Amino acid sequence: MNIKNWFSTEITRRQVTVEGQVVPEALRCVQCGVCSYHCPVGIDVRRHAWLGEPIKDSHCLTCGECVARCPRGVLRFEKSQLFMNTDFSGDKTLKSAPEAAENV
Amino acid sequence: MFKYLIIGAGAAGVSAIESIRSLDPTGEITQVCDESAGYYSRPGLAYFLTGEISEDSLYPFQNNDFDRLKVQQIRTQAKRIIPLEHRVELSNGNYLTYNRLLIATGAKASSTKVPGIELEGVIKLDSLEDVHRILKHAKRRRTAVIVGGGITALELVEGFRARGLTVHYFLRGDRYWSNVLDETESHIVEHKLKEEGIQIHYQTELAEIIGKHGRVCGVLTTDGKMINCDIVGIAIGIQPKKGLGEAAGLKTERGISVNEYLNTSDPDIFAAGDVAEVYDPTIGKAILDSLWGPARRQGYIAGLNMAGKKAAYYKGIPFNVTRLAGLTTTIIGALGGRDVDADVVGIVRGDSEGWRQMPDAIVTQANFDVNRLRVLVGETHLVGALLMGDQTLSRAIHHLIVDQIDISSIREKLVNPGHLITDVIADYWAEIAPNYGRKEYAAVKS
Repeated sequence: MNIKNWFSTEITRRQVTVEGQVVPEALRCVQCGVCSYHCPVGIDVRRHAWLGEPIKDSHCLTCGECVARCPRGVLRFEKSQLFMNTDFSGDKTLKSAPEAAENV
Repeated sequence: MFKYLIIGAGAAGVSAIESIRSLDPTGEITQVCDESAGYYSRPGLAYFLTGEISEDSLYPFQNNDFDRLKVQQIRTQAKRIIPLEHRVELSNGNYLTYNRLLIATGAKASSTKVPGIELEGVIKLDSLEDVHRILKHAKRRRTAVIVGGGITALELVEGFRARGLTVHYFLRGDRYWSNVLDETESHIVEHKLKEEGIQIHYQTELAEIIGKHGRVCGVLTTDGKMINCDIVGIAIGIQPKKGLGEAAGLKTERGISVNEYLNTSDPDIFAAGDVAEVYDPTIGKAILDSLWGPARRQGYIAGLNMAGKKAAYYKGIPFNVTRLAGLTTTIIGALGGRDVDADVVGIVRGDSEGWRQMPDAIVTQANFDVNRLRVLVGETHLVGALLMGDQTLSRAIHHLIVDQIDISSIREKLVNPGHLITDVIADYWAEIAPNYGRKEYAAVKS
């Protein structure tokens, strides 16, 4: 990888983490707990994965630790709706478990 | 009061409790489990073994989660089901009655009849207790021999290596997991293992485990080789724990037979997860699955049916994610076998040099040093795929396969060696993805 590519990759990475939120794909998750264990601010990422909910916790640093460490590629960054429009009325609470399990 | 009884505390059992509670807020739910650890992530044991997580991390639920679900948990063994009386006898001598019963006892590691199998130092990777035993052994021992060709064997290999032991890995054939991986993929995994210092012995089978004072001190292979070791790990497959169902006179084959509603031959008894052999009318076959995802879905659907809501389970396109020698690997759809080959017009492979950003999902995963993609292309749709390393394209490909999306317009490009298949797929996905919005395809369909 040449230096120009490296910079562009780095810029993309920064953009993604700044604008993004961590989103799980529940289907891949085996509840191993690697994500929660490595979260530097103690968010229970696994619970979000079980429920199929994005990490909306305002403490999330979007450091990408959970995304990088997940052994099964469950987590990814997705552009947060936060910056697309300013509708903050969105649901801030998690779905109930049974409702979420229906998404599995 | 309506009484639900769940035997087993794995993914299937817990999901059933969730779905029962969602429909029936007042019914009495009791869960019987013979493992003192209760509900923990069985797949997570591999990462506890390597030291990536703590033991506490294995528990997805805390006590208040079970309180919230209003479930009574009993840590004992279910000894006998008496279907006519709707009763279950426990090994502590008590009886529990039920209106609906779920058997979610899971599966256990298969054993082998090799002489010496009873020696101290012969281990398997089945339960949390096994990991405790392994870690106890690993502290004092230096060399391990691991036997088995699948994922669990590899977990043991990597676990022992991470704990600093010298590891010998026995493969029966001439490459790793040959019924799923192609030659290059096998070699990638083997190469990574060798880099870690693991000694792979091809075409090697265990003839005898040698002991001294009741403890393992070496193994003898079928071709007469002797290797000194103090641990022997065996992972040669699993078997459903169907004994309870069998003894109760339920219909069983490889597992406990259930229909698409997860109902056994008794109308009030259900089975889900590794123990259940589920008949899928869409393909006319009974399937034994042993993965976390299907167990969770089966448990959930069994729970719905138990609480009176008719819901069917269809397996759909096979889907599995695992980690092989540090590489995240996704396997979608069919990858081999005679009936598959008939549909396949080409197999295309690529690496990720040209992988682009996906339109709606941008991944910043750990950088893998190996990224590979193999896609089985049919006349009008993709039949199967395997992604190793970078998973950026995984959702797109999963979508294409599960929804049987017509790929005729890009088929020529796909099978033409002049094009990068990763680019072809990424571009096509960018073009059609808006039509599918952000529909949770994976969640619903498979």
